Amino acid sequence: MLDSLQPLVFGMLALIIFISAAFITFSRNLIYSAFALLGSFTGVAGLFAMLGADFLAVVQLLVYIGGIMVLYLFAVLMTSGIGDVRLTNRSIAVKIALPLALVLFFSLGKLIFETEWFAQQTVKIAPTTAAIGDLLLTKYLLPFELVSVLLLSTLIGSVALARQELRNSKENHD
Amino acid sequence: MSLAHYLTLAIALFTIGLIGVVLRRNLLVAFMSIELMLNGVNLSFIAFSRYLGDMQGQMAAFFIVILAAAEAAVGLAIIVLLFRRQGSVQSNLFQNLKDRIEV
Amino acid sequence: MQVLDNAASFQYFLPEAILGLTLLLILILDLNKELSKSRLIAPWTAGVGLVLYIVVALALRVQLPEAITFHGMMANDAFTDFFRVFSGASALLAIFLSMHSKELEGVKIEYWILILGITLGMPVLAGANNLLMIYLAMEMVSILSYIIVGYLKKSRKSSEAALKYVLYGATASGIMIYGLSIIFGVSGTLDVLEIQKFLVNNPVGTGRIALFVGLVMTLAGFGYKISAVPFHMWAPDVYQGAPTPVTAFLSVGPKAAGFAILLRFTYTALAQFNPETGIFTPLKYLDITGLMAVLAVLTMTVGNFLAIQQNNTKRFLAYSSIAHAGYMLIAAATLSSLALQGVLFYLIAYFIMNMGAFAVAIIVINATGSEELTAFKGLAKRSGGGALIALLMMVFMVSLVGLPPTFGFVGKFYLFMSVIQAKLYWLAVIGMLNSVVSLYYYMRVVKHMYFDEPEDDKSLGLKGFVFPGVVASLGLATVVLGVYWGPIVTFVQESAQLISK
Repeated sequence: MLDSLQPLVFGMLALIIFISAAFITFSRNLIYSAFALLGSFTGVAGLFAMLGADFLAVVQLLVYIGGIMVLYLFAVLMTSGIGDVRLTNRSIAVKIALPLALVLFFSLGKLIFETEWFAQQTVKIAPTTAAIGDLLLTKYLLPFELVSVLLLSTLIGSVALARQELRNSKENHD
Repeated sequence: MSLAHYLTLAIALFTIGLIGVVLRRNLLVAFMSIELMLNGVNLSFIAFSRYLGDMQGQMAAFFIVILAAAEAAVGLAIIVLLFRRQGSVQSNLFQNLKDRIEV
Repeated sequence: MQVLDNAASFQYFLPEAILGLTLLLILILDLNKELSKSRLIAPWTAGVGLVLYIVVALALRVQLPEAITFHGMMANDAFTDFFRVFSGASALLAIFLSMHSKELEGVKIEYWILILGITLGMPVLAGANNLLMIYLAMEMVSILSYIIVGYLKKSRKSSEAALKYVLYGATASGIMIYGLSIIFGVSGTLDVLEIQKFLVNNPVGTGRIALFVGLVMTLAGFGYKISAVPFHMWAPDVYQGAPTPVTAFLSVGPKAAGFAILLRFTYTALAQFNPETGIFTPLKYLDITGLMAVLAVLTMTVGNFLAIQQNNTKRFLAYSSIAHAGYMLIAAATLSSLALQGVLFYLIAYFIMNMGAFAVAIIVINATGSEELTAFKGLAKRSGGGALIALLMMVFMVSLVGLPPTFGFVGKFYLFMSVIQAKLYWLAVIGMLNSVVSLYYYMRVVKHMYFDEPEDDKSLGLKGFVFPGVVASLGLATVVLGVYWGPIVTFVQESAQLISK
């Protein structure tokens, strides 16, 4: 029963992802682009779930939709009042870049269908959270620790950029 | 569904993202497109992980999510910084730094 | 090769742990109101931490045998140790230059933390033995670099440079990680040495083309880090906009780390090493050395020809650093032990002469406030140490051209020797022709300094002996090592040892 539904669910998710991705890239309204991220991120999370990566699906929802998308919305609001200026060279760029991108897409797609991938057998879907937790504290301990140093420094750095700016703008107002 | 279907979708996401970065002059859209690219990469990693029966792909995707968040935070901080000074987020307006060719 | 678990690996990671603790210590010291008032506490703590880092790294190099550590995440061999010392030394010098630069007066502690963070990422990148670690370490170096490039909030150029850096960097790393995902898909593992094993055992198959595409995408990411043409576009803008000490740091430290991972990846994953003969053979059907040679030729030619047109000191040095990446790439493309040594040797030479040139640039920018090359006019005639500084700059310029009796000459000699030994005469010829082109623009600076009149009568105003002393010792090292380079050769020969199966 579930198996026969799979192509249908996949098709729907693929459609959602594709449409919202195209919307993000080609919409002229920033707010629409930012909200279209929602569709794209959710669709990818759905695919993660279909692929048996339950933990990653939740992480995708939490980090991308709960964090990154909200960050973008804030950025859009903070820099509001800007539409997308029509550029004279835009059409030229489209004429060159779009065919190139299509060529890239079709050649990579062709490559994928022609390649005999390493293993095709599917493993039974099982909860992955415990396995990921194990791996994080064994094999992946070093990257885990390094990422924490990176996040700490990034946090400090980003705050430094923003904080000083606030102080400067206060000085300007005074 | 076969591996190739997932990979094709991953490539579609990646290419749309790449087009966005290269074509769009709006910086915020460029950064959103980079998120799309990374989503495509994650999808590809997880699909491989599933069909290889190997958790390593999922771990890679996990770390990519984290790094994407860090990158987005830094990128947006810089955009907001520039916007406050300049009042625009069009990347073609940032032309202070370029080659001045004088023969 | 034995793969160690986390507990057994920790001793190998002691230097980086020291660096991480120094980073935290600076944060903690800043909590104290009295201490946080002093602007010198943070850089000095960072400096002491870095010295300790280098000392411990050198001690471990002797003490511990080479090993694959952290369940295969890192390869701790002499090569990694080399880049530990290299990164530590470049960060130390960058901190020193930052303390003496007027642009960076009154920086907060975040600046020093970011430098330490980048320094922590560089040796990890050099020793990464896992595709995920490669990506992670590269992002660690890049993301923190974006922030310090944009650190001058009052300068529009600095913010613009940071923005361009983020956009190019994020795109390049996105392309690279996609390539890595393809490699993972084909080989079924993230471990670099396992990938090599897979490639050797399965030389032909339909996955070959996919793998090649993945490799090219990965190469794009590496090329971006070492600013190889056609991924160099960010470099001039970023180098010009960033604070000058940061530019000096970026042009040496992270670039060397990029070379480290490029070398490690091509020499361990894509080649077979015969320990008895010491010969690297590229894998069948996956030979990217030709591609690298083409990139190398493009890189040095574009770098040299565009450097001629530059009028901004930092832009000029940016193109010069692109050209030098090209010289190192031609050797890297020959895939031999000699080339490996040659690149490491040249990195040391490049470190000394480039840091020296940037130090002089900082002195001139401090004194005149101008970043234009015309600020060098009549430098020898300026009061306040002009004659000495002009002499040192001449030494660095001569060394960057690669003329005897300087260290740069010996470095180039080793590079071209490895290319000639590999019977790639055309590459060596193009390299030498490029050196001739570079003679023109480096000597233009010398002409400015000695044969032109200064545009104003500002004094260089060098105070004390510390800053001029350090620059002078860099100049002295350039000359002395150009005559007596034996110890460096020994050090490099010991360092050019990669773990491979």
